[in-house]
This record gives sequence, C-alpha cells and structure tokens, in this order.
Amino acid sequence: MKKLLSVLLTLAMVLTMTAGAFAASLEGTYQITIWVAEEVKDLTAKQIEDFNATNEYGITIVANIEAVSEADAATSMITDVEAGADIFCFAQDQFARLVQAGALSSLGKQAAEIVRTSNDAGVVAAATSGDTLYAYPLTSDNGYFLYYDKSVIPDEDVDSLEAIIADCEKAQKYFAFEMGTSAWYNASFFFATGCVSEWKTDDDGTFISVHDTFNSPAGLIAVKGMKKLVDSPFHLSSSDGASFASNAAAVVTGIWAYTTIEGILGDNMGVTDLPSFEVDGVSYHLGSYNGCKLMGVKPQTDPIKGAAIHRLAQYLTGEKCQMERFEARAWGPSNLAAQASPAVQANPGLVALYTQNAYSVPQGQIHGSWWDIAKVISDDVKNATDDAGLQQALDNYYDKISSLFNLDTSALLFVGAWNGWNNADESDTYYFKDGSLTLDVPASDYMGGRIVNPGSWDTDKGFAQVTVGADLIKDLGADNPDNNIVFIEAGNYTVTIDGDAISIVKN
Amino acid sequence: MIQSQKSETPSMKRHMGMKASSRISNTVSYVVLVLISVIWLIPFVCILLQSFRCESTHQVGYIIPQKWGLDNYRNLFNTNFPRWYTNTLITALFVAVFQTIIVLCMSYTLSRFRFKMRKPLMQFMLILGMFPGMLSMIILYQVLKDLGMTQSNAVPGLILVYIASSGMGYYVSKGFFDTISKSLDEAARIDGATRFQVLLKIILPLSKPIVIYTILTAFMGPWGDFVFARYISFNVSAGMNAAVGLYGWLSQDQISKNYTMFCAGGVLVAVPVTILFMCLQRYYVEGVTGGAVKG
Amino acid sequence: MKQLTDLEYLKLSKWKRLLHRLGSFFASIPHGIVNGLISLGRGIKKAAVGLRDDVTDIFATFREGDWSAKASFLVMGTGNIAHGQWLRGLLFLLFEVVFIVYMITGGIYWLSMLPSLGKQGPTLEYDPIYDIDVVTYHDNSFKILLYGVLTIFFIVALIYTWRVNIRQNKLIAQIKRSGKKLKSGKDDLRSLVDDQFHKTLLALPLTGILLFTVLPIFFMILVAFTNYSGTNNGYTNNLFTWVGLDNFNTLLSWKAVGGQSYAATFGEVLAWTLIWAFFATFTNYFLGMMVAMLINKKGIKLKKLWRTVLVMTIAVPQFISLLYVSKMFAKNGLINNFLMSMGWITKALPFWEDPTWARITVILINIWIGIPYLMLITTGILMNIPQDLYESSRIDGANAWQQYFKITLPYMLFVTGPYLLTSFTGNMNNFNVIYLLTGGAPTNTAASSAAGSVGYTDLLITWLFKITTGAEAQYYMASVIGIMVFVVVALISLVVYRCLPSIKNEEDFQ
Repeated sequence: MKKLLSVLLTLAMVLTMTAGAFAASLEGTYQITIWVAEEVKDLTAKQIEDFNATNEYGITIVANIEAVSEADAATSMITDVEAGADIFCFAQDQFARLVQAGALSSLGKQAAEIVRTSNDAGVVAAATSGDTLYAYPLTSDNGYFLYYDKSVIPDEDVDSLEAIIADCEKAQKYFAFEMGTSAWYNASFFFATGCVSEWKTDDDGTFISVHDTFNSPAGLIAVKGMKKLVDSPFHLSSSDGASFASNAAAVVTGIWAYTTIEGILGDNMGVTDLPSFEVDGVSYHLGSYNGCKLMGVKPQTDPIKGAAIHRLAQYLTGEKCQMERFEARAWGPSNLAAQASPAVQANPGLVALYTQNAYSVPQGQIHGSWWDIAKVISDDVKNATDDAGLQQALDNYYDKISSLFNLDTSALLFVGAWNGWNNADESDTYYFKDGSLTLDVPASDYMGGRIVNPGSWDTDKGFAQVTVGADLIKDLGADNPDNNIVFIEAGNYTVTIDGDAISIVKN
Repeated sequence: MIQSQKSETPSMKRHMGMKASSRISNTVSYVVLVLISVIWLIPFVCILLQSFRCESTHQVGYIIPQKWGLDNYRNLFNTNFPRWYTNTLITALFVAVFQTIIVLCMSYTLSRFRFKMRKPLMQFMLILGMFPGMLSMIILYQVLKDLGMTQSNAVPGLILVYIASSGMGYYVSKGFFDTISKSLDEAARIDGATRFQVLLKIILPLSKPIVIYTILTAFMGPWGDFVFARYISFNVSAGMNAAVGLYGWLSQDQISKNYTMFCAGGVLVAVPVTILFMCLQRYYVEGVTGGAVKG
Repeated sequence: MKQLTDLEYLKLSKWKRLLHRLGSFFASIPHGIVNGLISLGRGIKKAAVGLRDDVTDIFATFREGDWSAKASFLVMGTGNIAHGQWLRGLLFLLFEVVFIVYMITGGIYWLSMLPSLGKQGPTLEYDPIYDIDVVTYHDNSFKILLYGVLTIFFIVALIYTWRVNIRQNKLIAQIKRSGKKLKSGKDDLRSLVDDQFHKTLLALPLTGILLFTVLPIFFMILVAFTNYSGTNNGYTNNLFTWVGLDNFNTLLSWKAVGGQSYAATFGEVLAWTLIWAFFATFTNYFLGMMVAMLINKKGIKLKKLWRTVLVMTIAVPQFISLLYVSKMFAKNGLINNFLMSMGWITKALPFWEDPTWARITVILINIWIGIPYLMLITTGILMNIPQDLYESSRIDGANAWQQYFKITLPYMLFVTGPYLLTSFTGNMNNFNVIYLLTGGAPTNTAASSAAGSVGYTDLLITWLFKITTGAEAQYYMASVIGIMVFVVVALISLVVYRCLPSIKNEEDFQ
C-alpha cells in the first residue's frame, strides 16, 4: 500500500512537472560557451548542430567551443566562475571543489531522475553530493590498466609485477607507472591489500569525514609491494602513453592513450588488467580507481537560459552522444544501454578496463588536499631503507591526514581498536568535522575506543554529554588514558556527533 | 678588441717563445669554443629536427626523423595558430612603440629635471620593484575583466598592462641620458628652445642606440609570456598569444597529438625574434652593458 | 667597531675592507635604530607642525579671501574661474563633479562595505516552472576590497586637490596684491611643454604605475590580512573577511600542521632560494666573463660567429628552449637514452628525480641561459680596462693569472657591483627557469601537506605561484609569502648597498 502510494505520488509529480516544462516555452537562441577536451571538440560541434535540429523545445544553441582539458577546467572554473564556461567537462576528483565553489548548478528533479536510471550507479554516486545530483555523467572509463610491448614482455609474465619488472630490467626498458606525482595511480597498491580511504561530503560539498586505513598492517604490505616497483632503476614515474616511443616496455595508463599506443606498437601492443605483486608468499592483485568524467552546467541568473542549457547538457550526455564519442575516440560510456552494446563490449581497451574493474574501487568524493598528501608516499617509500622506514612513510601520511581536519578547531577524531588493541588490523580511525554525522562502526564485545582531539591524543575531547543507548556502551571518562568508551556487545553502532554532544546507538 | 693584431707592440715580437705557446693556447681555445657552441646549439637543432618529423606526432627517443616533411607546419594553419601569432605580433608591435615612449619620457625626466619629488619617486619605485610581480596577476585580471579586456579581448588588455607598468624599467635608459652632456641642453635653452624642443631636436637624435635597445627588449617581451597571458585569455583560444597556445599543446591530453606541431610553432616564433635580435645585437650589447655598469 | 681613518682603511687588504664594511654595518645597526627612531619622532613632529600650519593657512585663506575664495571651499575652482583662469578652474570643478558622481553611484557602497567585506553571499532559489535553481548575486568581497581601495585612493586625491585649490586662491590674492598678471590658460598650456615639462612627461607613466603596479601591490598586501582563498570565487561562496595577523602567525609558527610547520617549510624554501640565487649569479658571472675573455682573446677568429651562437639562448623564447631541455633530461629523455646506448651508464641518471641532482641540474642549465648575457656585458667592460695597466704589469713580470686576479677581476667587480646585486635579487625571483624546467620537482615529502606540495627546487616565487593556482588556492598565504619575499630582497639590498665600494669614494682598482 505504502509502495503504491509513493509510486502514485512520484507519477503525479512527474506529470505536473512535465506539464510545467511544456507550459514554459524554452524557444529561443542562446549564446553559450562550452569547454570540452580537444579531441572531441569537432564532434561536440556536430552534436550541438544535431541538438539544434532535433530538440523538441525550439532551442537554438550558438556555442563557442573551446578546447580545455578536463584537468584544467575545474581549476579555471574555480578561479573565475563568472568568466567560466556555461557547460564544462571535468574528471570526477574535481567534483567536490566545484560544488563548494558554487560552480555547478544542480539538476532539475526530472533530469536527475533520468540520469539516475540510465547511468551506472558508481557514476551517479560520483555526481552526487549529499542527496543532490550536480552533474551529468559523461564517461565511465576513468580508470587505468596495463599496456605492454609483447616483444619485450611475454604474455605469461603480465600477471606478475615482479616478472614485468624483471623483463624490463633485462631489456633495459622502462616500466612506466606514475607514482611520486599522482596519488590516483599509487593508491593502486593500497587497494590491492584492501585499504580504504573513503570521504564524505555534505550537500555543500564540504568534507565532513574520512575513513582511512592506509596506515595499517595491510598498508605496510602495500608499501612493500610498492617498494619493489620504485626501487627498480627502470621504473619511470609517468602515465604518458607516448613513453613507448622513448624506451618504455610497459605503461599503466587509461583508455585515452589507446590510439597513441596502438600507433607506436602496432601488433606488439598488449592490453590487460593490472598485475599482482607478492609479499611473504601472498599474492595481491593491484587495485585501481574507477572513476568517470562529468559534464557540469554553471549556475545561471536567467532561469530560461539555464533550463535550455540543461537540456543541451542532458542531450550531450545521452546514449546517442556517448556512443558517438565511443566510436570516434573510444571513450567508455556511462550510459547503461551504451555500455551493453556489442561494440563497446568488444573493444580490447575497455575489456581490459572492465576486467580491472573487478579489483577497483569507485572513486567517490575525495578531499582536494588528499592528492598532494598521498602522492608523496611513494617518494617516502623509495627513500626508506627498511621496514621501519616504510612504516614511517605511512605514519607521515597519517599525520597529514589527521591534520586536514585539525585545521578546523572543532574537528574530532574517533579511534577504535574494534577488536581489542592487539588485533591491530581491525583498528579503524574515523575523522570528522563538527556537525551532525552518522557513522557505522562495526564492533566486537568489550571493545574499547577513544574519542580524541586529532594530533593531540587528548582523550575525551571534552564532550559535555555522552548519550549511550541502553547500557550498550560505557563512558569511562577522561580519567582512563587508553579508552574512554567501551562497547559491551558486539554489533554495528551508529555514532552521531552534534556540537559537543555525542550519542552512540546500536543498529 | 683590446688586444687586436694592430696593437701588438715591437717589444712583444722579441719573445719568440710566445708565438708557439700562443698557438697552442689558441688551439685549446678553439676546441673549447667549438665544444661550447655544440652544447649551446644541440637543443635548438633538436627542436628544428623534431618539427620536420612526420612519422609520428608524439615525443620519441631519437633525434633524426625517419620521415621528413612539412606536415607539422602545414597543420599549424588548420589550428588557431595563425590567430595566436597575429595576436602576439600585434601585442609586440604596440608594446614596442608605447613602452618605448613611456620609458623614454620617464628616464629623460628623471635624468634631466630636478624637481622636488624626484628622489622620493625614484626610491619609491625601487621599493615597488622589490615586490614579486606575480602577486599582481589576480587583481590585474579582475581589473581587466571589469574593463572588458579579458578572454577574447585579451590582446588590448595585455597591451595595456605591459605598457602601464613599463615606466618602472627606466634605469637603463636613464643611465644613458646621464652620459649626454647637459651643456647641450643649456645652450639650446639659452637660444630659446622649450624643454620639449630640446628633447625632440637634441637629445633624441643622440639616443639612437638606447631607443633601439628599448624597442628591441619591448618587442621581445610579449613573445615569451605564458603565465600572465594565459590568465588573461582565460581559456579562450581567440585571445591567446603564441606562447599560451603552444603551451596548451603540451598539456597532458594533447601532448601525444600535438608535440611535433609545438616544435614547428616554436620554430616559427623563434625565427623572426632571433633574426631581429641578431640584426640589432650591437644595440642590445650597448644597452645591457650600460645598464650593468650604471646598476 | 673601531673607526678607521681613510689612510688606515686604504692599507687594509680587499677582504679586510669588506669585513670592515660588514662589521661597521652591523655595528651601526643599534645606532641606526636609535637614529631611525629619533628621525621618526622628528618626522612626526614635523608632520604635526606642517599640518598645524596647513590648517592655519587654510583658515587664513578663508578669512582673508574674497567671495570666490570662500566659495572655492565648497565648489572647487570658483576662485580661478572668477579671476579668469578658466582652464584651471574648470579642471578643478570637473574633478569635483566626477568625484561626487562616483561616490553617489558606487563609492559610498564600496566604502561602507570595506570594514565587513560584504554581508550577503549569492542566493539560490528553486524555480518550479523551469525545474531549475536560479542564482542571484549580492555582495562580492573581492570587488568590495578592490573598489574600496580605489575609493580610498580617490578620496586622498580629492583632499590633495582640494588643498591645491585652496592654495591657488592664496596665490591669486598674493599675485593680485603684487600687481603682477595672472597666468592664463594659454600660459599654463605652454608651461606644460617648458617649465613644467616634467609633469607632462611623467603624467602618463605615473598614472600607469599607480593603477597597474601600486594599486595591485596595495591590494595584495591587504589580502594578507584576509582569508581570501580559491573557494571564495564562486557563486555560492564569494565572501571573505578580515582575519588580522592570523596568516602571519601561520607562516611564522613552528607548530607542525601535518608533517612540518609552515615556518620550517618557509625556511627550507628560503634557504634554497638564497643558495640558488648565489650559484646562479656567480657561476654565470665568472663563466660568462671567461667566455667573453676567450672570445676576445688575441688571435681568435670568427668572434662574431661565436657570439651569435651563444646569444641564441637570449633570442629564443624560454618557454620553447627550457621546456625542451627539461624533457631532454628526463629519465627516459634523450640524454639518458644516449648515455645508455653508448654503454656508459647502466641505469638512468636521476636528473629530476633526486633532490641534489635536480638542484645541480637547474643551476647547470641556468648557465646555458645566463652566460650569454654576461658575455655581452663583460665584453663591453673588458674593452674599457685601461690598456696601460696590462702593459705595465707585463713589464713587471706578471703572468696571465696574476693579471686576471690583480687587474681584470677587481676592475670588473668594482664596475659591476650594483649589477651583481640586481642580478642576485633577479635570480631569487627567477620564475621561468624553475617553473619550466622542474615545476619545483622532486617533491619535498616532509614539507608537502595540506598547505600544498612543495618541491626541492621550488623558489619562493614558484611556491607562491603554486599556492595561488594549486588544488586549494590560498591567496592569503601567497600574499604573506609575497610580503616576505619583499622583506628578504629589501634586507639583502640594504646590506649589500652599505657594503659596496661606491664609485665616488675611492678608486679601488689601481
């Protein structure tokens, strides 16, 4: 009954809105600026012509199309939103910054509904901050995999990082895997061992929490694997596909380099998912980020123009345009129907990407400073001489992450060794800013935890009030130096912090 | 040159041993000079060779092209490069004219007139010059934006900014004017010439080297600016100068496709500037030498 | 510090003289501070007296002036117009009108907002008809600060002009009393190309400097006292506020904020900036001089050719040459590939990967850029060294080395002392070479934090640039660093100027 009602309600809402949209005419000519990647500039011009010819609203778009790379677009938009493009494309890691700067206008309810149902879930999550959808998914191919030169690396070696390194050293050729300059790539090792770095934003794009386990025994295994790579004299920190033309035999990069590499290697080109590395006899398959590119619309002062531009953005990210981009430039579609098409399924590069996706994590929203903090891990790893040095690299990382929220004096840290202090792989750290926030904490019985001030490790951060649900948890107070809370029963708990009050309830 | 053949004194010829030793030292000098020249020229030769490479467009690990041709130069004309080039040329010409006028006004005044605010003014400008100019970029962008001189109108904006702050660079030409005798001015003033006439009829004709030096440096400046010009043009291709446009081709998503074209564009930018510079080298030397000595 | 007589001073060796100068400079600091305070006090007193005199003068002008002089207090230029000086009077009037119109149309708003830097950010409103959020703009802190500053400049200009206008009335009265003829507009115009020609010549350059150099610098100094960052540019969030000295506290505090404190990072970058400037200046200086001497050597032919080859690096824009050279030195670049294919090395040389290698490499490549300038400069100066100095030393049996160290070098150092200073400070701010070659790489892992990434080859100026353009642009910190750059450059200039052998005082190189 309840379900039926909600369906009816939704239907009614959609109907009124459709009626509204038709009632208000969007007919007219609109002068706009669009920023797209250089390689699809001409294609976009053609697609806009198609839109002008076919759209049902009578919209005519006169577009000034500029080639601006997805990497630069967000920075430019933030520098000056007013002078920025009406429609621009960007990689998802820029999303939160753009929302924070107010450079993205949210999708209308109708458009949001269509985007949510027609695109894959990871992409939709990437374009969502809080509960609001802020951008149109453009591709779902922002991940990386392995390209290799078959004449140097035999097919049977491509599953092992060690074997690839050995082959490259033997041939005096480089293995290009971007490390010191990009956290996007070096996180690969951490995901291999199951580490996570998950961030949460609120509706305004402000980061409110992070759950990060890079500094853990699993993280130590990851950096041991990373050390094998960065210590090789033939490791090259680059993700440039053209490296094959200057002495590289293997490159870890994305689908965008496909045509370049094919041009250089010809029949010798091999593509596959990332290899595995071995530490203490256990093999770990390298992980990756799977992300996407998004198309955003700048907030407008004129609702009619805004609505018209949104219609265009919706068209440009629809199935037809995504397929055209795939055919012209092998951009992997985010649209579910396009993804299912046989041509997409048969593209070797995308096949490698999709195989790698089994080991990848959705990128989600990540704090802008994290990239600078995390990218240096591999330099620290390279400089380390022993395991203590590797641990130090992780400790440094950990200090910087905690200080991110330390910058705000109201920040909190919630630390728990959720299965007892000795069982360190289960220890988790949650950092979060003041405000109402809910986190799920898996706990075993009689498990202690701390609520501390980040950086200082002062216990009990001075909560005026700790509400605990039904004797499930004990507040030990500030006197206890190690733990100030103890969970009595095993289970999942929700911790909510609001101002200086904290409440913990069992789910 | 200080020790040219002519200045050889008879006393030196008596030292017969010196000839042999000077021959050895000359040979060593030639070897060093050839070595230096090779080091100096290699990068330029490489860029030139890359610009003729047709078999691929990305960076490669070798120097000599496998397939030669003018494809890269031809392709330049299918891009916005001609527009960027024209923009830069227009900027450079305007800046050369107006910057020279302003610098000359400034330096002539500070060299010839004695007025109350002269010393404080010079000290103030010295202090101003110690602030890193980089900081002004954000604010100048905003000012130009409000004047409608950014993005596709970046060229007039750039010209305005280059010219407006050029008064700060008066040192070199002031040093030059200081060396022109003041008795010339005074004689003309006694004959009834106004200060303006003195500048026009007496000082300027004597200042050809410094005028040419100022024009040359002012002309060369805009060709290399990729930071400020990039900011001002703000992603609008039509408003870019050659440096900004070419620099964009080296961005991560374009470098594989446009690298050799970048080299070709670079050659086209470098050639006229280099030729001009070589022709006017003499004046440039006079300028920098004077500037260095005066401080 | 013992005060030396001229004779004692001249007896000292060169280094002792320099030490003596340095010593007396530092010894004079306490004295200098006391003197500075005294003269500051005097200055304040003088200014106060001047102000008092000014005010008395203004009152006197009002009391003694005729109706037009009195009216000038309210309507500028009336006095001039009443006495037939139309040009001056109308200009005064015009200025006042423009000022009033400006203040009414915007000036008052900007000025009133300056203390708070804006109260209401942009607002979003949902438009149900078009199913879209619509934005409305309100205050914008950046513009408030910019136009607020401009308005203050304008007000100062008005007060000054008003004062001049009052003084004009006094002058008119004086001239009338003495029975002389007042200057007409035609006389004024004529004097602009004659007596007052310097004003004509300076008007345009100084206006440009005021608007495009002074104003931005003033603005950026103010930004150092706000929290203006990259996230304040957008629509939903374009307000920032005054934060007092917080940013200076951040820069100078030793409290670690994840990894390393700002002060420690600043110290490291500053240290490298100074090391870099030192080596960049002096390697170029000595090598450039040597190359110049080599080319000018007796018996070397094709002098023009050698010089032309070298100046290629000046003529070709740096963004082309340096970018290319940077790629040549990459791990898989031309140089490593060549060395490896020759079998001279088995693994790539870490030109850009290792901090020490990278620092040495940028200094070496800077030589490639810098030698030609020095070669041109020193060629000219070398020619000016009096020939008889060499002649007589040769007769005394000096060899080439002795001649170099006893004649050439002292002469050069003496003549180019000021140049060395400007070249040193220029190198401190040598953005192009570092930015194009390394972009600051390799990353300094300890120093990189939430405040952005810092590299081992980053100079203060490139660090500043990174902060204004990086992931989290922090204009406020960039301003603070900019001010610090100024302080450092000013200090160095002050010390060096005090210690330079000045041309007037001595003929040092005999």
